[in-house]
Amino acid sequence: MPISQQPFISNLFAFVRPVTGLFGKATLVLLMVLGISQAQASHLSVAIVLSESQGAYQELGIELKNSLPSEYSVQVIGMESEIPVADMYVAVGMKAAESLANRNHPILNVLVPHAGFEKLQRPPSATYSTIFMDQPAQRQLALINAALPNATSIGILYDSSSVELDTLRKQSKVMMFDLNEHKVDQQHPLAGALFDLLQVSDVLLVLPESNIYRADTIRNILLETYRAKVPMVGLSASYVRAGALCAIYSTPKQIAYQAAEAIENFAITGKLPVPQHTKEFEISVNNQVARSLGIPIKDAVQLRVEVRRRQ
Amino acid sequence: MYRYLIFNRSFRLAIVLLFSAPVFAAEEVVSEQSYLQEFPVVLSASRLAQPISETPNAMTVLDRATIKASGFRNIADLFRLVPGMYVSNLNGYTPIVSYHGTTDNYSRRMQVLVDGRSVYLPPYSKVNWEDIPLLMDDIERIEVIRGPSAASHGANSTQGVINIITRDASASDGVRANITQGEGGISDVAGSFGRSGEQLDYRMSVGRRADNGYYTPLLNDDNVTRIFNLRSNYHPNASDSLDIQFGHSDAVRGEGVLGRSSDPFREVASSNDFQQLSWSHSHDSGDEFKVQYSHTNSTRIDNKLTAAYPKLEIFTQRHDIEFQHNFELSPSNRFVWGVGFRNDAVEAAYWFTNKPPTLKQARMFAHDEWRITPAAIMNMGTMLEDDGMGHRNASPRLSLNYHMTSQQTFRISSSVAYRSPAILEESANSQPYAGYRKALSSGGLSPEKMFSKEIGYTGEFLAQGMSVDTRVYSDHLTGLIGMDSLINATYPTGYVSAKNLYSVHFTGWESSLKYKWDDLSDILFNFSRQVTSCSAYELPTNYIPSNPLFAQHVVAPYDTLLKQCPQMTPFDSASLLLKQQLVSGVSFSTGYYYQGEMRVLDAGSVQTPMRRVDIRISKSFGNLEKRGGGEVALVMQNVFQDKYSEYINVMQLTELLFDRRAYLTATIHF
Repeated sequence: MPISQQPFISNLFAFVRPVTGLFGKATLVLLMVLGISQAQASHLSVAIVLSESQGAYQELGIELKNSLPSEYSVQVIGMESEIPVADMYVAVGMKAAESLANRNHPILNVLVPHAGFEKLQRPPSATYSTIFMDQPAQRQLALINAALPNATSIGILYDSSSVELDTLRKQSKVMMFDLNEHKVDQQHPLAGALFDLLQVSDVLLVLPESNIYRADTIRNILLETYRAKVPMVGLSASYVRAGALCAIYSTPKQIAYQAAEAIENFAITGKLPVPQHTKEFEISVNNQVARSLGIPIKDAVQLRVEVRRRQ
Repeated sequence: MYRYLIFNRSFRLAIVLLFSAPVFAAEEVVSEQSYLQEFPVVLSASRLAQPISETPNAMTVLDRATIKASGFRNIADLFRLVPGMYVSNLNGYTPIVSYHGTTDNYSRRMQVLVDGRSVYLPPYSKVNWEDIPLLMDDIERIEVIRGPSAASHGANSTQGVINIITRDASASDGVRANITQGEGGISDVAGSFGRSGEQLDYRMSVGRRADNGYYTPLLNDDNVTRIFNLRSNYHPNASDSLDIQFGHSDAVRGEGVLGRSSDPFREVASSNDFQQLSWSHSHDSGDEFKVQYSHTNSTRIDNKLTAAYPKLEIFTQRHDIEFQHNFELSPSNRFVWGVGFRNDAVEAAYWFTNKPPTLKQARMFAHDEWRITPAAIMNMGTMLEDDGMGHRNASPRLSLNYHMTSQQTFRISSSVAYRSPAILEESANSQPYAGYRKALSSGGLSPEKMFSKEIGYTGEFLAQGMSVDTRVYSDHLTGLIGMDSLINATYPTGYVSAKNLYSVHFTGWESSLKYKWDDLSDILFNFSRQVTSCSAYELPTNYIPSNPLFAQHVVAPYDTLLKQCPQMTPFDSASLLLKQQLVSGVSFSTGYYYQGEMRVLDAGSVQTPMRRVDIRISKSFGNLEKRGGGEVALVMQNVFQDKYSEYINVMQLTELLFDRRAYLTATIHF
């Protein structure tokens, strides 16, 4: 970025940087507030910190940068680089969120699941918020309703209690689903738990349990669901490609747009929105699996319309 | 000795596997990885079964629940639940299974596969059902393709294909033990042990099946079969899978007819073993590659005890390798192609005075499933084969399935299939054997050719719990190979050969109905009606009516056979299986099996109609499919003592009648 385009506030920070001690910090906070008022004049420096400089992280970072007004100063950096001084930070992924969590700057976390946000143990505020990576329970259940209108009992495998599980429990009651829960741990091996679960469930809903759904376990899980003729509802397009019936998720692009909106709003009001779920989402359907299981499923576009209508 | 060696090795292997089972990692990680991780394609196109409404043929699927409810102890009996299928017995351990007639001792016109491995073996080109090293409990499901399917399954899928799919190694967990005791010396035991891990799954089964065969004292058909089967699956990652199977069966069986010196009471030893290795790799693009190799070895030793008769020994060895590639040509085209080679070697000193040829067969196939519109699916494919006897055949198939609604589908299909002559038909040169004429093949047989046309309908009414499958067909089988009696003036000496003698035309319709009216009750009903007509293809070599000797011994028998040939299929046959769950783990099921009067090709007498009822009552404790489950069951076959006759009478001495028999079976899973 040419020097001439560098926003004023960044230079200011650069100036005060050597200042240390209590006085220094107070100055910093003061200048930050000043900075915000400067930002209202559409000059905001944003540092987008990626947990990993590849894949969805990078896609989101670049998409977000491109979505922000061109007069903003936006840097996309990896964890390995030194964190630059900026008016606000966007942490992409848990690693970045964790490393930034103690910083006294406005921070917006993205690609962070609800449970991950809780784990950061920093209460949300006007300057600290998150766009959750997971889909709201209501939306997931609406997908099941739309894709499998006859399904009444949902099977889930979990390893530890999580906020996602709690909300799913509550929402299932509201939406009149029976939730069959099986805990998987050393006493309850996966194979047995899955077998029991599939006996009584119409659909297996995947929870973000990285101890259960792994690259080395997915094969047997999917084969077992197929054998039991119980479709799986996954967490991402990758699940669907592997053999899940369908999945609802938000793409990095959709999350980037929502983050850009929050940041622009922040530039004006000085406030980040409360932690929230994604607004936009995608649905993927594996038609071959549907056909083979004899499930007459609507196409992804129709499902999306229906899920949206049910929200 | 050999068998014990296998057992020891396997148990050692099992112990190693048991302790190397991976421990569940219990660290708590909260990250976005769950949403971002990439998985390889697991349920790839080749793993996904075509739904019945989109298959190019009519298909019957027998699942575990149906198999259990039938109460049958033997694999062959299960086919009574397939419309149009004929199941009978030559004796207590030799079932005859055929589809749409052309039934004889060998039932050669149907391919039978176990996990893709053909168990249709030379030199007779038949299936020795009781020798398959497979326990009933290890069967996941059986898919029966009704109609020729040579385009997908190669030669000898002339009238149908039976695909036995065994349980995945990953489906077994724990120990299962089963004991069965009953009338007629029924005494079976089976045990299996399985483990499912993150990279390695395996199951191992051992069993023994024994009974005294038919009740008649005239027939010596006591039999004991011991079976060992191991299946293991190693999947280091989700895209590669190595499936290793081996099995062994050996049996001691009674043979002989009371008071008949040419067929004295004696024991016959039979064994079969196989090793099978298949590796499949799925690519991220959705392509899947599979290589499968199998080796089958079978032995039958009939020691006739009498010095005057030779020892009948048959050794068969088969190597088969196949490569297959599945991929998507476009979003609307699923394509599979492959090549395969097979080497069949036979040693049977009695049947072949000269060493029989080793058959080297080669095949190449391609199949495309083209979704022309969301409602119209075209399946087209062909198999090119060299049968190793100088014939090269192409077996094409074309079918169009049209979904009238999401529930109702019409299918129109046409295909060509061949049956290669059996080694014995083409090259027999038997040793002289008192009481039997020498078998001396003239050779030069043509493969039998099937041309089939059908119109089918499937209806899947999920909300009503009902599915219907019906079809009408016209199958034309030409050049059916039969016995060519070459006699001379010194009759009854002379010899027999094989020749393409008949053409047979089958027309008929068959239907299947499944209805589940609540969670506890369902019914399966099958019905088949068939009209068979026969004509001469070529005349027997000695068909010379002007010569009195030939007229009596060649012309008359041939004419009679042609006249009786249409009776080789029953006009009507039907089967019904009702399952009903009662209170507190008690279940009841009953099967009804009907078959009209008929006369099989190679039997002199008529087989009287069968109206047989079987029942099964069981009480289960917990879920049998998981640890802690168990079940006791009582099965009674032919409850009302229907006096129907089996495949053949005991060599003109007596009718073989299947008497009522009952047995108790108990299973525990821990």
